[in-house]
Amino acid sequence: MITLTNLSKIFRTELIETHALRDVNLQVNEGEFAALTGPSGSGKSTLLNILGTLENFDEGDYLLDGKSVKGLSDAALSRLRNEKIGFIFQSFNLIKDFSIFDNIELPLRYRGLKASDRKQRIEQALELVGLHARRDYLPGQLSGGQQQRVAIARAIAGEPRILLADEPTGNLDSLMARQVMELLEQINQRGCTILMVTHDPEQARRAGRHIQIVDGQLHDSTLYQPLAAVQGA
Amino acid sequence: MDNLLHAFALALRNIKRAPLPYLLTVLILSLGLGMFFSNATLYYWLNHDPLPQKSHSLFYPQINSVLQPCDSCTEPMRVLSYQDVQKLSSSGIPSAQAAMFQSAGYARLPGNSDVSPTPVRLRVTQRDFFTLFDVPFLHGERWADDTARRELILSKASAERFFGRSNVVGETLRLGNELFTISGVLQDWEMLPRLYDVANGLNSARSADIYLPWETAFDLGIKSNTTTMSRDERDYSDNFAVNGREGQFYQAQFWVQLDSPQQVTAYQQFMQQLVHSEKEAGRHPRPEANRLTNILDITEHFNARNRQLDAFALVSLLFLLVCLFNASHLSLNRYLASQYEFGLRRALGCSRSQLQQLILADVAVSAALALFLSLAVAAAAMSLIASLLPATRNLTSWNPLMVLTMAGTALIACYLVTLYPALRASFGSLNRQLK
Amino acid sequence: MSLTLLFKSLLQRKVITALLLVQLTLTLALLSNSVLLSSQAYQLSNQPTGLQLDTTLAIELKPTDENLIVHPALGDLIQRQLAALRQIGGVRHAAFSNQTPLLFGGMNGNVYVEGKQDTTNIEMVPYNFAEAELFDTLQMTLLHGRWLSAEDKNTDNVVITDKLAKQLFSDSHLAIGQQTNGGNIVGVVADMMYQRFASDQYFGLFFNRDLNRADYGYRLLLQVEPQAVAAVRQQIYDSLRQVEPEIDIQQVVSLRQLHRDYFEQERGLAILLSVLSGLMLVVAMISAYSHALFHGVQQQNEIGVKRALGASKQRILVEVLSESWLTTGIGAALGLLASYLLQQQLATVISLPALPLWLPLCGALTLLLCVTIATWYPAAIATRVSPATATKAL
Repeated sequence: MITLTNLSKIFRTELIETHALRDVNLQVNEGEFAALTGPSGSGKSTLLNILGTLENFDEGDYLLDGKSVKGLSDAALSRLRNEKIGFIFQSFNLIKDFSIFDNIELPLRYRGLKASDRKQRIEQALELVGLHARRDYLPGQLSGGQQQRVAIARAIAGEPRILLADEPTGNLDSLMARQVMELLEQINQRGCTILMVTHDPEQARRAGRHIQIVDGQLHDSTLYQPLAAVQGA
Repeated sequence: MDNLLHAFALALRNIKRAPLPYLLTVLILSLGLGMFFSNATLYYWLNHDPLPQKSHSLFYPQINSVLQPCDSCTEPMRVLSYQDVQKLSSSGIPSAQAAMFQSAGYARLPGNSDVSPTPVRLRVTQRDFFTLFDVPFLHGERWADDTARRELILSKASAERFFGRSNVVGETLRLGNELFTISGVLQDWEMLPRLYDVANGLNSARSADIYLPWETAFDLGIKSNTTTMSRDERDYSDNFAVNGREGQFYQAQFWVQLDSPQQVTAYQQFMQQLVHSEKEAGRHPRPEANRLTNILDITEHFNARNRQLDAFALVSLLFLLVCLFNASHLSLNRYLASQYEFGLRRALGCSRSQLQQLILADVAVSAALALFLSLAVAAAAMSLIASLLPATRNLTSWNPLMVLTMAGTALIACYLVTLYPALRASFGSLNRQLK
Repeated sequence: MSLTLLFKSLLQRKVITALLLVQLTLTLALLSNSVLLSSQAYQLSNQPTGLQLDTTLAIELKPTDENLIVHPALGDLIQRQLAALRQIGGVRHAAFSNQTPLLFGGMNGNVYVEGKQDTTNIEMVPYNFAEAELFDTLQMTLLHGRWLSAEDKNTDNVVITDKLAKQLFSDSHLAIGQQTNGGNIVGVVADMMYQRFASDQYFGLFFNRDLNRADYGYRLLLQVEPQAVAAVRQQIYDSLRQVEPEIDIQQVVSLRQLHRDYFEQERGLAILLSVLSGLMLVVAMISAYSHALFHGVQQQNEIGVKRALGASKQRILVEVLSESWLTTGIGAALGLLASYLLQQQLATVISLPALPLWLPLCGALTLLLCVTIATWYPAAIATRVSPATATKAL
């Protein structure tokens, strides 16, 4: 699903070069639920951004679904993001003056789906996150946990192959965080690959695979765990 | 279609989101555009070519024919005498030629001697006037030849004013103490700028009410009511039929139509020969100073440009610049404020071109609003200008093409103002904005 | 905040700062040049006229019957009209002339000292028909010699204005008894503003003759008691129509109105530019306002931290204001240069005096004041940020 080979990312300013990622090799298989942990500044977000094609890398290669993303045009990358990748952010990133429905519709529009198809998918997604009754609410009228569920609905409405979640429960209390985790696990069981940045050791344990990143380098505790075991988690 | 509607709906929503900055941006843009449009309108009417199909072939000849010797007098008179016209008419080269001047008189219906007469604007001219400037006839036709005749040609408006209808060919009208037959009625006709009479600074004045034959005016002692100059001691208030024709009484404009470069050269040669033979006869003591000026250069030639408007044009252009800079400054702020949302859209798979569509919709909405507002500003500015500089009063109309151009300008201005901010927002790095 | 820090913060936002500077520069350039033009128009319209603007009325008229347009019927008509006008209560003096002071157009001719055409020729001098009563009607002041009387009718005797006399003879009292191509000078009167487009606006030459033909109409001038002006104006039409209905009264105006129209172009342009300058100041204020508002919001966290670290509201306010002062200051310096450049450009198109330094400096101060006012409100809002909320978001 995801293959990174010798991938490096360097931030340059006039005075210094910082290796945000150094020779990263990573293989994520279809259907895995992987947790990415590490101290702040270790390169987690950079890795996630690169995986989400929001950011370029300097060296190495990134194969998504067997195809290199290197050298793809902006339009091709946008298409890739739109069709294969779903994002979940710590601060939800819902557009405040769009209704729940409109927020979820956004990526479907970029894909160019017909209105009826969009509607069907949005309703399925809302059904899944259990917010069908709130479809015309504005984000501000929902609790944090509900907002994050809307964001998840938005991420999965396009039926992506990979879900990239950047501390999805970081802004939630423990009860809501648990609900969101359960939702993610449910989505993973349907076959969607999930890569999640987290600080919570409990969450990292619950994920089938735990990848640690320190100073731009990976320490993968479960690298050789068989696929079946992940699915059974 | 669906996408387009969506884009426009978003554009409107963006306005609702931050109405004050948005309105200020559009307001500033409209102020700049409005002042610019008002000025451009005046400028257009003052400088556009009123006869694009034939302006290249219309020329104003002058010779330095004044009889008092003066070696330093190297500029010919701005207006011509009857003698000048006679001589310059004798070449047979132009396809059309007519002398003319503006005058004023009093007209009334022959039966109504107890009603006070109506002041009328007269143009004394020859039959080719109507050919030279493509003046359209509604009824009747131009005079049969250039001899004196008691025949008038009326504008449509004055036919209707005196007779209540336009087809009045064959009717009689009293002009001063003389009776005239009406031989033609013109269609509504205005030439702006009125290039055939800029020598008198009348380039934005209205067309005449009544056209009167050239020779008849000399017979009746009707003179120009604009520039007249006499360069001898004759009494021009007495026996003008003779004195006006023989003396050095300068009052006329004279236009010739020369269709080809060969004709122009031939006419220039004719003027040279004319001046040489005049010199030989001792009737051209001043230095030779022949001029043959094209109608499009005549305003400059007579130094009749409205300098005040030129200055204002310069300043209003600068004002537009200021407003453009200002509006782009404001819209940069606006776009930077929503940069996070651009990033989010990009993360959700919106390509740059899709983003550009959204921005274009935004631009279109702003442009429509700005156009509407700027037309209002322009109308207000023009009425202010017209009240302050009355000479511009007839220059304030808009035709569809002008409105279309203004709409295009508004669109371009809005796009320019949005271009940099939009580029910056949509090409900015994606990683920083989302957490 | 130190100046270097301020500069750094400006440099970080190069584009926005550049936009702001361009706009401030142009604003100041326009502002100072419009004030320059306005002051020029003001000076022009405040030149001495030598005329009683409010109490002198001019009637422009022309017979509509061609029999009346020629001497002697014309002269008779004029005398009857003047007699009737003198009957109106409040009319002190009435006289006829071929033209009116302060009105464009009319009869102009060249004037030179007889025998010295080469050295003394003056191209355009207004030639005015003048009878005895014109002197009192225009409230002239006699400087040398005498005014024209009925005995001068159709003679060669003329009176000229002081400035014309000085131009011809270097000292005006030397003019008396001199022969010009226009006639023999018998008197010199104080200057009056006659025709703007003549060789000089104070030139004038007066002679007493019959008007042979009134192809261009003629003028009747009235000197009226100050309190009776309005009443006299109302009666003029009826009074003249009773004398002779076959006339066209083209207009009745006071010299005050003519004087206003005399500088119409300059006045118009000056007003237009002032309006434009006003708009520019508004635009500059809007710009400063939204700039401060936007960056105030953007810097809320920063301001919150500063507040938490002990900066007073006042201090924050000064910091926000001093940034806009700095930009305005730089803009003003550039604007000073631009003012002179624009003045040069405008001077190629219209006549314009040199730009005194104090003018753009005052303009810069005005600009600074406007920007400060516009920045005040958003700056005050920015200082209101509670340190607690601002820092929490960090």
